[in-house]
Amino acid sequence: MIELEHVVKNFHADKKDSAIHAVNDVSLTINNGEIFGIIGFSGAGKSTLVRCINLLERPDSGNVRIDGVEMTSLKPKELYKARTKIGMIFQQFNLMPSRTVLQNVAYPLKDMTREQIRERVRELLALVDIPDKENAYPSELSGGQKQRVAIARALANDPTILLCDEATSALDPQTTGAILQLLKDLNRKLGLTIVVITHEMEVVKNICRKAAVMDAGKIIETGDVFEIFSSPKHPVTRNFVRTTSNLSKIETLIRDDSPLVRLKPGEVMARLVYVYADVSEPLISYASRAFDLEINIILADVEIVSGAMVGGTVVIFNGERERINRAIQYYRDKNIRVEVIQDAGA
Amino acid sequence: MQELSYWLPNLMRRLPEFWKACGDTLLMEAWAGSIVFVFGLVFGIILTVTKPGGIMENRTVYQVLDKIINLFRSIPFIILLTALMPLSRAIMGTAIYVRGVIVPLVFGATPFFSRQVESALAQTDKGLVEAALSMGSSPTEVIFRVYLRESLAPIIRAITITTISLLGLTAMAGAVGAGGLGDFAIRYGHDRNMIDITWVTVIVLVLGVSIVQWLGEYFARRNTH
Repeated sequence: MIELEHVVKNFHADKKDSAIHAVNDVSLTINNGEIFGIIGFSGAGKSTLVRCINLLERPDSGNVRIDGVEMTSLKPKELYKARTKIGMIFQQFNLMPSRTVLQNVAYPLKDMTREQIRERVRELLALVDIPDKENAYPSELSGGQKQRVAIARALANDPTILLCDEATSALDPQTTGAILQLLKDLNRKLGLTIVVITHEMEVVKNICRKAAVMDAGKIIETGDVFEIFSSPKHPVTRNFVRTTSNLSKIETLIRDDSPLVRLKPGEVMARLVYVYADVSEPLISYASRAFDLEINIILADVEIVSGAMVGGTVVIFNGERERINRAIQYYRDKNIRVEVIQDAGA
Repeated sequence: MQELSYWLPNLMRRLPEFWKACGDTLLMEAWAGSIVFVFGLVFGIILTVTKPGGIMENRTVYQVLDKIINLFRSIPFIILLTALMPLSRAIMGTAIYVRGVIVPLVFGATPFFSRQVESALAQTDKGLVEAALSMGSSPTEVIFRVYLRESLAPIIRAITITTISLLGLTAMAGAVGAGGLGDFAIRYGHDRNMIDITWVTVIVLVLGVSIVQWLGEYFARRNTH
């Protein structure tokens, strides 16, 4: 279990300058075996926060406990030892360019014979699924392969925790998917606790069950990923969710006065957002039949986040005003959030 | 032999002296070079790890060393040569000949090499240091297994440049009675206007520099992946 309590980390750009609060009183608990996401725009303090876990950044105040051990009070030697049990991977992979894959993965291995090291490295490379590259240099590998090697290296000493600092941000979407899948597998196979730092909502949606949203050094929202996505409470989170959703395109369409979104008299354009997990009912076609309306779907974006549906549609209702209102009420009764975007009047 | 004596009359008459001059230059280069290598490497590393943001950040140590290096780098070598004579006598027992000039050579080249090492190490990606620390490496391990190992190629280049600039310093050292090729060229080539001796000395030095440069480049490239 990773427990952060009132962690504060300031940076001083200048002696006279006031401190920059990179991490400002953050408390967070991450349970064993969890894949925990920390999301935020760049500069939110995510990277500093994750470095407070393995003390690459020493907090100015606050407590960092891992499995009950207070990290900030460890002696240097104990800290080095503790760090071998906390793997870390990075956006830029950080493989040593003058060493082969084998030598890179062997870097953290100690007190082992040459043969034992070779065997262990092969085991690790098989685990991350690039068994045939042990004599290649990092410069000969693709981004995805480099990250796999970095993961193998981070796992060399059987850590219980893996910290991922924007680990997929330098990769293309397909490779990102593959690396995330690998992380998910490792989480399941090894019971590894994984902390994922990212500015990409996709990543969190894909592999995290729980997440925290960070802004200006503070955690502004934390909880189940599904909840954060379906009903973001903080404006920054809402903003974040919106930027990743297809539904936000409607604003652009309206601004550009696209013919697609020009309403005829009597029509109403609304955004239907699924907040609760149960949207298996055929809501559009049911409402269309029950209230005798034409419902035109302009945009739809429905995704599966931690096993439940998240998303919504933008629709144009066409029909009698009275019936439109009843349909909207029907949706609201079904716990669907309805936001009227434009109303062409009765 | 006849031919050589015709073209290089003065040199051929002083051949044993010429060989000895070559030997002295090599001797100065080897002694001073080895000592400079050790001190420069140590100072370069200290500068790198103690500078703000370094893995063993220490303002005082960094500032003091930084200033001392700047001080010695700004003193022209010819002044250093004479100014350090008392120190040389105290340490080496003499201020002349090869023995007497090692101290000023070391003082002249160490600051230069320290800066070269510092800038070679500065090329190490900060991410590598961070990765090593995250894997539980101690600062000492980071110095040896990351900084030195990963900067091998630029360090070899730094050695090359320093060796060559040291060669220039040994020539100047000839002026205070150190012997060597510089002294040989001045004494005969310049003072007695024996042009052939000047030319041959220059050619030997050019060859020496070329060999060092070529070797350095060869080893640097072998360590670049």
